[in-house]
Amino acid sequence: MPPLTSKRRNSRREFLYGLGATLGSVALTALLPADRAQAASVGPLTPKKGHLPSKAKNCIFLMMEGGPSHIDTFDPKPKLAELHLQEFTRTGEMKSAMESGKRYYVESPFKFRKAGKSGADIAENWHHLAHCVDDICFYRGCQVDSVNHPTAMYQMNTGNRFGGGPAMGSWVTYGLGSPNQNLPGFIVLPEVSYPQGGAANWGNGFLPAYYQGTPLRPKGSPILDLEPMPGVTRAHQRENLDLLASLNKAHASEHPQHDDLAARMEAYELAFRMQMQVPGILDMNQEDARTLDLYGIDREPTDGFGRRCLLARRLVEAGVRFVQVYAGTWDSHDYIERAHGNLVRSVDQPIAALLTDLKRRGLLESTLVIWCGEFGRSPDNGIRGGTAFGRDHNPHAMTIWMAGGGVNAGHTIGATDETGAEAVECVHHVRDLHVTLLHLLGLDDNKLTYFHGGRFKQLSQFGGEVISELIA
Amino acid sequence: MTLHRSVRARLQSVIVAGTLLSLCAVPVFAEDASIRAEKLFANRVLGMFKTKCFVCHGEDAEDLRGEFNMLSLDGLLKGGESKTPSIVPGKPEESPLYLAVQWRDLEMPPKENDRLTEEQIRYLKEWILGGAPWPNEARRTELVQDAENEWNVTNGVTVQTSGGLIDEWTQRQYEPEHLWAYRPLRIDATEGWANESSHPIDWFINRRIAELELDAAPAADRRTLIRRATFDLIGLPPTPEEVTRFVDDPLPDDRALTKVVERLLASPHYGEQWARHWLDVVRYADSSGYANDYERGNAWRYRDYVVRAFNEDKPYDQFVREQIAGDEIAESNEELLIAAGFLRMGPWELTAMEVPKVARQRFLDDVTDAVGQVFLGHMLQCARCHDHKFDPVPTRDYYSMQAIFATTQLAERKAEFLPKENRDGFEERQYLQERQAFYEKALRDLNKKRSVEAAHAWFKEKGLDPTKFNVALGELKEKSEDTQPKVSFDQVRKLLQKRGTHPDLIPPRHVGFEARDFGMERIARKGIERLKWRLQRYQPIAFSVYSGRTPKLKSVNAPLPIPEEPMKTGELEETCILAGGDPFSPTTPVTPGVLSAANTLSDVSADDASIPTGIVGRRLALAEWIVSERNPLTSRVMVNRIWQWHFNQALAGNPNNFGTTGKKPSHPELLDWLAWTFMKEGWSVKSMHRLIMSSETYRRASQHPQPKTLALQDPNGISYARFRPRRLEAEELRDAMLSVSGELNPAVGGIPVRPEMNMEAALQPRQVMGTFAEAWQPSPLPRQRHRRSLYALRLRGLRDPFLQVFNAPAPDLSCEAREASNVTPQVFALFNSEISFDRAIAMANRVLKEKSSGERTIDRLFRLAFGRVPKPDETEACLAHWDRMTTRHRGLTFAPPAYPREVVREAVEENTGERFTFVEPLEMYADFVPDLKASDVGPELRGLAEVCLVLLNSNEFAYVY
Repeated sequence: MPPLTSKRRNSRREFLYGLGATLGSVALTALLPADRAQAASVGPLTPKKGHLPSKAKNCIFLMMEGGPSHIDTFDPKPKLAELHLQEFTRTGEMKSAMESGKRYYVESPFKFRKAGKSGADIAENWHHLAHCVDDICFYRGCQVDSVNHPTAMYQMNTGNRFGGGPAMGSWVTYGLGSPNQNLPGFIVLPEVSYPQGGAANWGNGFLPAYYQGTPLRPKGSPILDLEPMPGVTRAHQRENLDLLASLNKAHASEHPQHDDLAARMEAYELAFRMQMQVPGILDMNQEDARTLDLYGIDREPTDGFGRRCLLARRLVEAGVRFVQVYAGTWDSHDYIERAHGNLVRSVDQPIAALLTDLKRRGLLESTLVIWCGEFGRSPDNGIRGGTAFGRDHNPHAMTIWMAGGGVNAGHTIGATDETGAEAVECVHHVRDLHVTLLHLLGLDDNKLTYFHGGRFKQLSQFGGEVISELIA
Repeated sequence: MTLHRSVRARLQSVIVAGTLLSLCAVPVFAEDASIRAEKLFANRVLGMFKTKCFVCHGEDAEDLRGEFNMLSLDGLLKGGESKTPSIVPGKPEESPLYLAVQWRDLEMPPKENDRLTEEQIRYLKEWILGGAPWPNEARRTELVQDAENEWNVTNGVTVQTSGGLIDEWTQRQYEPEHLWAYRPLRIDATEGWANESSHPIDWFINRRIAELELDAAPAADRRTLIRRATFDLIGLPPTPEEVTRFVDDPLPDDRALTKVVERLLASPHYGEQWARHWLDVVRYADSSGYANDYERGNAWRYRDYVVRAFNEDKPYDQFVREQIAGDEIAESNEELLIAAGFLRMGPWELTAMEVPKVARQRFLDDVTDAVGQVFLGHMLQCARCHDHKFDPVPTRDYYSMQAIFATTQLAERKAEFLPKENRDGFEERQYLQERQAFYEKALRDLNKKRSVEAAHAWFKEKGLDPTKFNVALGELKEKSEDTQPKVSFDQVRKLLQKRGTHPDLIPPRHVGFEARDFGMERIARKGIERLKWRLQRYQPIAFSVYSGRTPKLKSVNAPLPIPEEPMKTGELEETCILAGGDPFSPTTPVTPGVLSAANTLSDVSADDASIPTGIVGRRLALAEWIVSERNPLTSRVMVNRIWQWHFNQALAGNPNNFGTTGKKPSHPELLDWLAWTFMKEGWSVKSMHRLIMSSETYRRASQHPQPKTLALQDPNGISYARFRPRRLEAEELRDAMLSVSGELNPAVGGIPVRPEMNMEAALQPRQVMGTFAEAWQPSPLPRQRHRRSLYALRLRGLRDPFLQVFNAPAPDLSCEAREASNVTPQVFALFNSEISFDRAIAMANRVLKEKSSGERTIDRLFRLAFGRVPKPDETEACLAHWDRMTTRHRGLTFAPPAYPREVVREAVEENTGERFTFVEPLEMYADFVPDLKASDVGPELRGLAEVCLVLLNSNEFAYVY
């Protein structure tokens, strides 16, 4: 085949599928002549085989931004009751202003229980999740590098704490494509208020734009300018599109060697169809009352996060590869009882509902669910007013849990020291967590690479190892 | 001696072969092959094993991956846990090791980055074929010495550097072709040109085109040319009048174009367009990024400095000096202090959460790498933790370069405004002062809630004994001399704490606060902190640096002045090689220095490269080394960028990476000749434009007469046989829309403006450290909003979605080249948005106001948008559309726009975990004057606006040919 032909076809199908990546549910192949459809079957978002066999095909990533306290949720530290309010001083140039000076230990205001057959540790205020612990693998050994929110968020989301790298969802869709060609492969469901570090938390970095996380905004337009101006009907828009098409067609005939023109024309047609499709996916009325109730929808404090969890399930069901759901902020420097208490009340039932719902639909096997923050919290606190019992940031210890396809459910892996200050068993840098998550999805971090800036880049940055204890 | 060696070699090879024989029963190899294999082993294979394999398979005896030890031939023959030998001497295809390095069956080394090159795989194959000899150390030394010349000449060269962390690295060899960027400029290749009359650029380019047996495309027509040249140089479309003048110019193409180029180079907008390119590379933004994303109130002065530098055709060497060492050249020169802001363009902050030394190190790493990428085409950060994997940049060089910045300190420095700086619009300060008053009042109100009464209520609610509190309160009242003593809650609380009262019996400091009060308190307190940065904008301050000792900082929450005694207080940093890049793991100390390979491989003299060790003057010396005419990197890097910004592709394909992994130059002789000419022309960037734009190569059409042949002969499109079309960059697209709609305010320079952004994005709450960032409020007046996109406030944490979808790069990493991907959100932004429709209305209004009608209207629209008249069927289609749309619009009514005066923020409060809302005032909307809106105009104009919208969305508008 002469290079020109193949080049053209490449370019065309690449564009089409890039568009498909952010478009509504139009059967793309229907738009193409048969030979094109054939050629188009290897677009950038076409489902691809991973490097390894795996149970999990999709991923729902529950990002508890702000840094939830492991000590007050899943990693009880009775020793802190003894040490409660004991004061000490910490100095040294290896310490931040936050960690140094006068400190005091803070016991957890939450009581713990052993739940499920596995006897997992869980704070008593997780009433709903307690019933799901046998499906969960808790991991207490992860450590990160950064103590600031955005840099730690970037590291958890992209592997690179300085930002600018592709998010895990981008890597996964780059590696596996996405089952539904007519929706983005990587969708983000943020809080109304974006987390620190903003949209770079779901950016495609140096990967092509097709792999960018698409945020569906919880209020207002789910996608900016998805709808035309008020008063503009579809017929009205169609007329504009028709004039545009005729001008573009004449122009293209004068520039037959310019491949981008056709792709840009197609983009307009596909966008036009997408306007129709997205609202249906967001329509919760398609769910029965029992399901809405399960997630705590239409009542506080669970409505907001419940809707996002249910939408996550709907998206995965519709063939979206990777969904990230945000809840926060867990940054409880003061009054942790009240702050964490309220947050747990708002996420406990929706998370349990998500696990239950996935399970009963047979989707849990093929879906990897991850719950984590960007770091854990410290057993001690600065003297913030003396009695404001809260906790500072702690990159040395945290709890992450996973459920679903391929995880070592019903086990707690790793351990922190007696105060929860530092991971001491099965300790791994977050890069190993990334390698493990990719592994669970059938991807080998060392092979999932992209050549950029002079080297093959990868999610783990420089490679890492699978934490085999987390895998069933 | 020679005889002795060769005898020993022979003996040894016999021994080795004998060993193999006994183990594997392979035949004895011919002497030549086995000696060749020995040489290979000593010179190539062992080193490769060391760098690629031993880490997992030998070095750590406790942790042998796959139980496979490669430290000896025995280990290789024993194999790993599979118990099969990893090599079968003489039979590479049966050797699992050989298969594994090709990623057949096993995949080793497992990381893509560590994979063996084809050449390394060949060495391994040849070694196995030659019987896989493993001579002992003494013999290997001999073989290395013996072979030195032969190997160096045939297979690579060693590069003299300051030395690697390990000897193998220091001794390693490079393919000569990877070292091109360090070699002195080669201008002898132009000899053949001297006798020709053609343009030198064409001579180089056409020579290659001829080699490929291609024809070059003919010259583009004049309409295409002027559009190309105008977008290239000023980033705006030519006006219809300019097009006509050029098309009608009786002079031949080249001379007529020269006139256009001169006019454009003299335009103040030239500097804007080329500054925009430069700001991509240096990562310009008006905020700090990360957790706080504080505004950098004075960064705009650096942006305008860059605009001036291009407009004044500041010699590039001077431009480099000023940005690296402006403050060291002359401390009293405002312009130079502003220029040094370059060193701080990366994102940076120091919060109380962060270890100060780590944050300092982040700055040092950032600035070292930035200088490497921007000026030298080197990704230096690769050498932070280990000697560079591909390039002759040892970690020692990295830290020597970094030592230059060890005395560079960040400061907001006093620098009076210059007469040439645009100081319009400073009155917007009043809005910030209004906000400040709002926050201050909020704090006062909140403080009232934290009352003694609230404390009493707290005791009651908790069922706690208030006695101690009341006793303390009584005592404080008694002490007071007032008749009606006022004792604050804080006073009582302090006293209780002083007395060591049990914490349970001390009400919390925020007693009386409801959930929203916690949130509001934080918002007001942090809001005042954030305003400090924003209010700096109108002060005669430069975002700059100074040379001095490193001050002790805990966190940086306000602009940093220069300390009183910058040379005496603080630490005089001693730079060491940092193990793993960790500032707490210093190893060998280094002195300030430059890239050693760039000196040894080129003609740079030792004097050029010497950096003083005093506190002041290190950066200036670095700058002088960078711009030394003997430094081969600098001029190549810059002409390569200039070329790219003209042709939409660079000669060396990775302008920030001239190393091994960067793309090699497609026309190395041309690149060198341009670099040499650039210096010869006094580093004049404008001279380079004149040179490039006067070539036939630049004037070529984008259509090639034999597209199939072209595709065959030049599949990667690097022959320049035709001109490569490009999509307008994000800012060009917006500016072009404002230009054709007649709304563009052509003012140059000044404080950043805030164009209208999609309202939902503008009001999207966004968390920054401990609070929300301020809403994006558009500048109140249309003429402020309709400035060029270059002047739009560039926040790292909130990017304009319009610019973002059209591939404007995030200012975190240096952007060497824009992308032009084609994704649907672009359609939503350009076709659906109100902002687009506003441009369409303005354009329609402009043309109708010119008293045109019917066909003449359409004619005018096409001339504005495309620089040509419409064809009859286009006119007809547009007129019919106008008509239909006017009818449609007769049935539509548009409400006048309502602008918010405040925005309700909803978030989870971090102290309470409860949702709370906060009402942020939007002060600027009080004076907001909207653009011409659908509600302001009749159906006929709106109908025409629909035609305009289509034109603005068309491919002809979006691409430059």
